Amino acid sequence: MSVPQHLEFFVDPSRCIGCRACVEACTECDTHRGEPMIHLEYIDRGASVQTVPVVCMHCEQPTCAEVCPADAIKRTGDGVVQSARKPRCIACGNCVVACPFGVPELYIDRAIMMKCDMCYDRTSVGKKPMCATVCPSQALYFGTREQISALRPQSMPTNTFRFGDQVIRTRVNVMVPRRPAAPAQIDVTAAMDERPPSRAVRLPVVGDDPDPFAEVEV
Amino acid sequence: MVARSHALRASLWASIFTLALAVLIIVGSRRLANFDAALVGYTFATLFATFGITYRYAMWLQRPPTRMYWKRGWQAFVSPRFLAGNLGRFVQRAVVEVAGNRFIFRRSALRGLTHWLLMWGCIIAAAITFPLVFGWIHFETVPGHLDTYRTYVFGFAAGDFPVASWLAFMVFHGLVWASFLVLAGVMLAFRRRMIDHGAMAAQQFGEDILPLVLLGAISMTGLMLTVSYTWLRGYAYDFLAILHAVTVIVTLLWLPFGKFFHIFQRPAQLGVGFYKDVGARSEQARCARCDREFASAAMIRDLIDVERELGFKYETSGGTGHYQRICPACRRAMFGLAQGALWRGENHGDTAR
Amino acid sequence: MATLPVDDLAITRAFGPHLSPRTLSRASDEPERLVKTHCCFCGQQCGIQLKVKNDAVIGFEPWEDFPFNRGMLCPKGVKRYLQGSHPDRLLTALARDPSVENGFRSMPYDAAIERAAREIRRIQDLHGPAAVGVLGGASLTTEKTYLLGKFARVCLKTPYIDYNGRLCMVSAGAANKKAFGIDRTTSPWSDMVGTDVIWVAGSNVAECSPITTNYIWQARELGAKVIVQDPRITPVARTCDLYLPVRPGRDAALFAGVLQLMIENGWIDRDFIERETVGFEAVAAYCATWPVARVAEVTGVPERSIRKAAELWGIAKSSFLFHARGIEHHSNGVQNALGTINLVLASGRIGKPKSGYGTIVGQANGQGGREHGQKCDQLPGWRDISNPDHRKYIASVWNIKEADLPGPGVDAYELFRKIDAGEIKGLISICFNPKVSLPDNQFVTRALEKLEFYVAIDFFLNDTARHADLVLPGSLQEEDEGTVTQVEGRVIKINKAVDCPGEARQDWRIIQDLAKALGRPHGFTFDSPRAIFDELRVASKGGVADYSGISYEKIERQMGVFWPCPSDDHPGTPRLFEPGSDNPVAKGKGRFYFPDGKARFNVAEYRPAVDDVSEEYPLFLTTGRVVSQFLSGTQTRRIGPLVKHYPEPRIELHPRLAEKLGIADGAWATAETRRGAITLRAMVVTTIRPDTIFIPYHWPGDKSANRLTVAAQDPISKIPQYKVCGCRLRPADGPPAYAKEREAQQ
Repeated sequence: MSVPQHLEFFVDPSRCIGCRACVEACTECDTHRGEPMIHLEYIDRGASVQTVPVVCMHCEQPTCAEVCPADAIKRTGDGVVQSARKPRCIACGNCVVACPFGVPELYIDRAIMMKCDMCYDRTSVGKKPMCATVCPSQALYFGTREQISALRPQSMPTNTFRFGDQVIRTRVNVMVPRRPAAPAQIDVTAAMDERPPSRAVRLPVVGDDPDPFAEVEV
Repeated sequence: MVARSHALRASLWASIFTLALAVLIIVGSRRLANFDAALVGYTFATLFATFGITYRYAMWLQRPPTRMYWKRGWQAFVSPRFLAGNLGRFVQRAVVEVAGNRFIFRRSALRGLTHWLLMWGCIIAAAITFPLVFGWIHFETVPGHLDTYRTYVFGFAAGDFPVASWLAFMVFHGLVWASFLVLAGVMLAFRRRMIDHGAMAAQQFGEDILPLVLLGAISMTGLMLTVSYTWLRGYAYDFLAILHAVTVIVTLLWLPFGKFFHIFQRPAQLGVGFYKDVGARSEQARCARCDREFASAAMIRDLIDVERELGFKYETSGGTGHYQRICPACRRAMFGLAQGALWRGENHGDTAR
Repeated sequence: MATLPVDDLAITRAFGPHLSPRTLSRASDEPERLVKTHCCFCGQQCGIQLKVKNDAVIGFEPWEDFPFNRGMLCPKGVKRYLQGSHPDRLLTALARDPSVENGFRSMPYDAAIERAAREIRRIQDLHGPAAVGVLGGASLTTEKTYLLGKFARVCLKTPYIDYNGRLCMVSAGAANKKAFGIDRTTSPWSDMVGTDVIWVAGSNVAECSPITTNYIWQARELGAKVIVQDPRITPVARTCDLYLPVRPGRDAALFAGVLQLMIENGWIDRDFIERETVGFEAVAAYCATWPVARVAEVTGVPERSIRKAAELWGIAKSSFLFHARGIEHHSNGVQNALGTINLVLASGRIGKPKSGYGTIVGQANGQGGREHGQKCDQLPGWRDISNPDHRKYIASVWNIKEADLPGPGVDAYELFRKIDAGEIKGLISICFNPKVSLPDNQFVTRALEKLEFYVAIDFFLNDTARHADLVLPGSLQEEDEGTVTQVEGRVIKINKAVDCPGEARQDWRIIQDLAKALGRPHGFTFDSPRAIFDELRVASKGGVADYSGISYEKIERQMGVFWPCPSDDHPGTPRLFEPGSDNPVAKGKGRFYFPDGKARFNVAEYRPAVDDVSEEYPLFLTTGRVVSQFLSGTQTRRIGPLVKHYPEPRIELHPRLAEKLGIADGAWATAETRRGAITLRAMVVTTIRPDTIFIPYHWPGDKSANRLTVAAQDPISKIPQYKVCGCRLRPADGPPAYAKEREAQQ
């Protein structure tokens, strides 16, 4: 049982509406019943309704696994970085703070780290991950490259991320704009000092309106 | 080169431990005087397992993150200011977490019980078997008192007890009781692995099923030996003895490779506990982006060292200096912001590189 | 006697809302079967499969083959299964009893039915049949709504029946009827994908109809421009191409202004207007009074944005406009909806592929529930209760004399005024929680208290049912079968997953049991929802909402059938008004449902809101929903994970306003209108107009936004004006009493 190579995960956080269907669906999984493995958060609710869903990106060279003192995190042949092996994980938390995407979570009481394993129970038998199945905005999509390119002519997938001087490649893709030129990689650390604007016009048609309420008197 | 020196060092440690055990066997059995030659297969399997386990343990300890935790764990434990408290905590945690399996009971009561039965069954069995096999303990009838047994430990007399006593019955059937515990645990574990969808999705034969099969086989064949000599006048005893020996020896040989290795690895949890205690007492790292505390400063420093040693280059050119100084929540936010900025036509991608 | 039997807190302690666990089944539970059905909540009616074991719903599995949502679900859909097997579920009939600690004692079902019938008979004998009113709901299946309408008119012989769609769909319905002669979204949602421009008028799609989001995003991926008109920057507005931050209550002015710009710039389809519509001149004359500068002044939308909207909409080759409660919940609601229709008609882009106009229904059966007779002025098949021909036909189907059929009744709010005035003394309600959901709900409470006899049918003891003399245990959606009509006009089938627990009964059985106990069983002897549907098909035949060609089998086979479907071999009508299409009203004269076949332009006049902002109440108050809650929360405030997501109402306000008033994020603040005041925590966000505050309305009592809202209603549709009233805000003196006494969801 493994996840077929032609099926891939495509994430487009700009589509996310923060409804948390993914989170609630994730808690239904039998491998971690009651606990969501996907993160969905407001980036800064005071400033914007922007939310970001974060699933495990399944790095080609997973930092979490490398910094695990207990050797508890394994990447299977299909490129899926599995949740910590329960007999080994000593709940040190290295993976939690080291993961460049902020994915793993520690459950101190049970002395275990758990993280998204791309719904291995579903994907390894040909189904889609639960979050990508229910996602009403399809910010989370699971399918083939052909399907996504037909559905999203303005987007293209990338799986290369920059964190400082470190480049990370992942099995999960993020959708980036095709025009004017698709970036070769997403520089995550460049967003360090950014705060989300209340409006994030995707393709400006009126021009810049950073604060649509600028003229409203209080 | 590094790998080779690691392997060399691990081989050395493995050899030392194996040799030490061999010496102890010879000495403890009074130059093999108390050694049962029939158990020689067990002995050699144990020596092999000792070599394998030590080798793997040593290799494991040389991985940068493990080495770091090993070092820091001991430093935290023996820190003079806290040693007394640490000893208390060590006992408490050893009892509650290790002996009591509290953290597994928290996953679910039945899983806790399963593991607890398996664990204590194995511990009791090992505590009886190994000293007997190595000839470290043996029993003799006291000359002139045929109804009394004398226990010898390392060849020294260590107490007498009547043959017909309750105690004797319990002691001589210790392995039977252990088998009952193990079998109950194996059955519970199999039950879960057959009906729990979550377990079924992730389980692998070698990793999750085989260990149960082995433990079950050891217990069953052991019990059959008892049945044979107790009620069947030794029917098929020799065959059963060989069968039992095979199951035990296979398990011993497999000990360093599979799931059972966690028996040796897992106590590291205690070391991590002391490291965390120190971390909680000392300075906390504040996220370079949101300024909230998210881990102990020492852990972040150590992690940066480990990441460098592993070849990661999370250094940043900005004021932060290292990506490790950003908390997981902000990492997730930055991931969203970076992607969102691309859609606004702002350059958070990098076409040049 | 419909006062609360004991203190509300004591009732709450006994009957909830309490929280369900986060998940229900264990990892080892193997469902015995999967039941293909639909979500019980909003009007999108997403397909879902319920996992059933031991006659209990234990989970869900996405239904990826259902064409509308293809497996997608919002968090309410994901967790909807937790409402079954809930500790608060009513398992027996309850009788009001102030001597009992929690105010109610259970009683045998049959005795309760007998007693209800006795009381109804007593009131009707004494005060006439019209002294008993009936309130229904748009979450009921179409079969139930049909039966309820028939029950009121045939069994009770009262004109006074109305339903909670009055708070939801009626402005759109009235406008559609005036403009098109038919009340339905014109096109399936799939027409959105590939369109040039989408205009979202007053709809927080992301939270109230989440599945529609993917249609919008998909359209945008293929090049559509998205315009969102809302006083709040909702999740869809965040990244839309053009955001129109309209001041609450000014929508009609905006539509007039945009149409005026379209006329000025020649962005209208004169040929279509000439050939297929009437009334354009009057509309053009009215719009001429709305030069863009005046529109900007009144609406608060910058002039350049109005111009851009007109241009985007005007020059598009294809377009989709939809609206929801944002423009409909107004005393000017019908005018607002007509304003959007004028934009649609002027563009000439109707009845074409990749173009459409629609209204997003709020409730599960917001569409079907308004078509077949629980609306006060309506008979099955969208027939008019005042139309002699329509009356005659339905009387013949029901096998009664036309003269015995009551005339039009009054809207739900007016019904409460009649209770207050003592005209209506007995009430039967089902699927309606007006104590939370009607505006100025302290008036509703006072009216309830005047009832001589009130019987409520429900599966949980909702806030209104606490006033009841008798509560009959009804059925959850998954305990019965039947049809509903979802947002696109697609008739779909709800399938039964489990039996009613305890003494609970399917609602249609309860209605029939009442009829029987009243000694008027004639016409109420159906043995299944299918039998009711078969009569409904006949009753709707020849009407505008013609279901006569729809069968349960056809629905399952086609995964839904779009009405009108006038014959067995008819596949249904996904897209209305296609060129060359015919209908029973126009009879070949044209594609719209009027005798001349032409669509109507209606002057959509801007009128200021009732109780608009003033010096005394300088802020706009607007109300709405959050994604994790549904309507009055009877179900969703009992589902643990949904409550956790957004436990209590908060007052959204802009940081500039917060600074001026000295209110910090998370601090207690008191909002006050002419009706009352409530104290909630503040939520300071830049995503709302600085002159407006927003409060979601799903909670009762001291947390109820509808304590503040005004009971002003649209003169035509009678929809209440939930979306705007004058209000003032101040830092609270301290935490309110409920903060200590009650759990968040209570």
